[in-house]
Amino acid sequence: MNGNSTSSDWDGRYFHVDQILDKAGPRTDESFVPGDQVKDFLRNNCKILVIGAGGLGCEILANLALSGFKDIHVIDMDTIDISNLNRQFLFRQKDVGKPKALVAAEFIMNRVPGVKVTPYYGKIQDKDEDYYMQFNLVVCGLDSVEARRWINATLVNMVDPENPESLKPLIDGGTEGFKGQARVILPTVSSCYECSLDMLNKPTAFPICTIANTPRLPEHCIEWASVLEWPRVYGDKKLDTDDPEHIGWLYDVASKRAKEFKIEGVTWSLTQGVVKNIIPAIASTNAIIAASCCNEAFKIATSSAAYLNNYFMLIGTEGVYSYTFEHERRKECPVCGGESLDISIRKDWTVERLIEMLVEKQDIQIKKPSLSTPTKQIYFQAPPQLEQATRPNLEKKVSELVEEGGEITVTASTLPFNLSLRITYT
Amino acid sequence: MAQPDSQELGQATTAIHSRAQPDNKTRRYDRQLRLWAASGQSALESSRTLVISASATATSILKNLVLPGIGHFTLLDPNTVSPADAGNNFFLNGYASIGKNRAEEAVPLLTELNESVDGKASIKSVDELLRTDEGRQWIKDFSLVIAHNLPKDTLESLSSLLWEDLINPPLIVVRSAGFLADFFIQFHEQCIIEPHSESFPSLRLTQPFPALVEWADSIDYDGLDPTEHAHIPFPIILVKQAQKWRAEHGGELPKVYKDKQLFKSQIKDLQKKLDEENFEEAEAQVWRITSDVLLPSEIKELFSLTPLTTSTDPSNAAFHALLQTLKLFVESPEGPRCLPLTSTLPDVHTDTESYVRLQRMYKEQAGKEAALFKKILSETYPDKPVDDSMVDLFVKNTHHVKCLRGRKWGSWEEDKSAIVESLEVYPKETSTHLAISALWSLQAKGIDVTEEALTADILSQLPAGTTLPDELDNAIGELTRAPTADLPNTAAFLGGMIAQEAIKMITKQYVPVNGYCVVDLVDTWTGIVGRA
Repeated sequence: MNGNSTSSDWDGRYFHVDQILDKAGPRTDESFVPGDQVKDFLRNNCKILVIGAGGLGCEILANLALSGFKDIHVIDMDTIDISNLNRQFLFRQKDVGKPKALVAAEFIMNRVPGVKVTPYYGKIQDKDEDYYMQFNLVVCGLDSVEARRWINATLVNMVDPENPESLKPLIDGGTEGFKGQARVILPTVSSCYECSLDMLNKPTAFPICTIANTPRLPEHCIEWASVLEWPRVYGDKKLDTDDPEHIGWLYDVASKRAKEFKIEGVTWSLTQGVVKNIIPAIASTNAIIAASCCNEAFKIATSSAAYLNNYFMLIGTEGVYSYTFEHERRKECPVCGGESLDISIRKDWTVERLIEMLVEKQDIQIKKPSLSTPTKQIYFQAPPQLEQATRPNLEKKVSELVEEGGEITVTASTLPFNLSLRITYT
Repeated sequence: MAQPDSQELGQATTAIHSRAQPDNKTRRYDRQLRLWAASGQSALESSRTLVISASATATSILKNLVLPGIGHFTLLDPNTVSPADAGNNFFLNGYASIGKNRAEEAVPLLTELNESVDGKASIKSVDELLRTDEGRQWIKDFSLVIAHNLPKDTLESLSSLLWEDLINPPLIVVRSAGFLADFFIQFHEQCIIEPHSESFPSLRLTQPFPALVEWADSIDYDGLDPTEHAHIPFPIILVKQAQKWRAEHGGELPKVYKDKQLFKSQIKDLQKKLDEENFEEAEAQVWRITSDVLLPSEIKELFSLTPLTTSTDPSNAAFHALLQTLKLFVESPEGPRCLPLTSTLPDVHTDTESYVRLQRMYKEQAGKEAALFKKILSETYPDKPVDDSMVDLFVKNTHHVKCLRGRKWGSWEEDKSAIVESLEVYPKETSTHLAISALWSLQAKGIDVTEEALTADILSQLPAGTTLPDELDNAIGELTRAPTADLPNTAAFLGGMIAQEAIKMITKQYVPVNGYCVVDLVDTWTGIVGRA
């Protein structure tokens, strides 16, 4: 060791990464200048945000730290559960119950000297544009569609064409069992998260009449217990799917119903899986997808090589199958498209029916939409007075309120964007 | 999964759910047990893996095997931690590890991830081990061997050693440099009873068993009230319609497009009112009549597969006995002359009573056929009893079982014409694989890594006059840029990939990759060349 080496940095530390930063490759953009400047930017100036400190987040933090990012921020609203320990490798049994962001940040700072990880234990929605503006890049390892839509729309809204710094590349990863995907989103430039909403698997929804009258599967019995029996017995008391007593109660009730209808297969594990909508998750798949996300972050931050354009999909159940492709922008994307979405409905449809469609339609999926036209309010979910005032409209026909070719603006409190619909009647 | 039998739940008391509540281990592993169940978990727990070289890639692989709970691993590495290792390997104590043995420094940081895993460091050199009988035996005693970035000569000795006997463990060879990598699983045979296929087995609607026919015959559409009509299960509708079609078409089912469409529209016409969901379902499931596969060709091919010699893995021997029994079952005049019936039904739009009735019918018929299967098995192999749970699992999965035959690492390259063809069909994947092989070859010979030297080495391996694709430039350019870089992200990516494959090999569930998996993390793609 020579005099430059200390326990927080040492000569030769970046021997591997520097092979990339000291020389351009055949697919490196001409703007790349190898050498000290890019290393200095990566290690001393680049500020990166990691959203989620769970299965993907733990991996992302470790990879970024080893790649040379030194100023890393992480947001996560969850605490550690025992079922996280099979893959979230920065956590131990003793950490169960503690906030993920805090434990993860501390672990990384202990293990990788000289890296600063700033945790925030809370929701992404707690932070405003000024907060997000401070980062060069955002990497997402989330399990929630809602949170992804929120951060995506926020970053798209932040883009100011006059200010190139306002465009924050968003790198998003997701996994399920042996499958996963990673993608690079350049807000307003390439396809955004909202553009690809229709690629999501449709969540399994069981019709209420099946659950109530003609159960066939163990899942139907479990849904009966959680959706119908719980509120009937406990009224307003909220079902806590993390409380084993609550799951136990559902399991008993579902088992009795299953027995009554001669349906087999209600188990504790299935009960928990159905009510919590559990997605299988393993360390290895998370490692692949997180590595892919961090690799893109590294290439974008350093310009050392071409980056993913723009979607990588992996299926590991049968051999290794992957597909890399360019997902196209949607002109009528409510977040980045700007054009209104043409929809054609029947003349006798009520406002309520239209709302039902907005909730269900694969490329819209807005949970509690509020509707208005440029001149009047059609239906508002909140505040209560406005909801009450507009409620009578639910039963009116859309065609009475909006003329052929007229526009309806759809908003939702959970999502920072407006969807514009152009209505035609059949 | 360790779950109570659903039968006993009838006497549900308040105490029952606390009994059913999973223990700590089940809770810890919950998210993975949903993929490979208790059987996969127990296979993992009895595995013993040897990982050679304590590189960043190797410790990433191990991390992803320790977390899900493999039984034992040994990390083999005689080298000391360099400043570069301390910078790119998460499972070292940074600066404090420099100068100490790599394996010994890494193992405690890996085992603390999961206290139920037994991990050991060995500071021996693999070359030394390969030189003695004792050392070779020590290697062969593991159930899986994984090697990262070993020199070409060592890889050749190691792969030859493990290939020479069928009982030797599979070997996963991993090579990486900068953004590029490839890996290969060397194995003789991988028998998979549970590939977790996403395709549905046949419900045998084109060759219905008697109870199904009886039900279909008993249906008089006009005699049913609207509720009953809207609840006839789709399999019954399809069986009935198929019989009608057969009667009108000399015993044939619709085969050509036009007839298939006609058949579909006949189902549609049976609806009494709009939106009868059971008829809509029947319409959507018409393929179960027009494209019903009672004996998939992949399964038929397995019937003529000669088992490898007797020294093979005992569970593979059992698999072959089951396969031969399946062949006899299909040929048996007492049987249905196709694969055994599945006992699991998809959800069907109907009322509870009809669904339970249909389910029971399938269960009963499947039970009868399973009994015949077991009878043939015990008659054919009286001396080789196969574990009953394995038989049940096999019978349940006969539509999807797989038997992969692999090959020795490096043997594909001996077939020059195959490489030339692969260069044409998969130019970027093949180029990248050849470029990595060339890099290994130059390093073995002590030749400086330049684009010219790499190209010359590749050409020397190919028939004269072979044209190299343009894509090769991308690969050799990256390799000369970073010939010895074990990048943190590439290491983590491979760590996940190799661990997934190791899990598939060990659990014998899901399907491992056969051939070289090639990885390019510049344009971010993976591909396969040299499939066996």
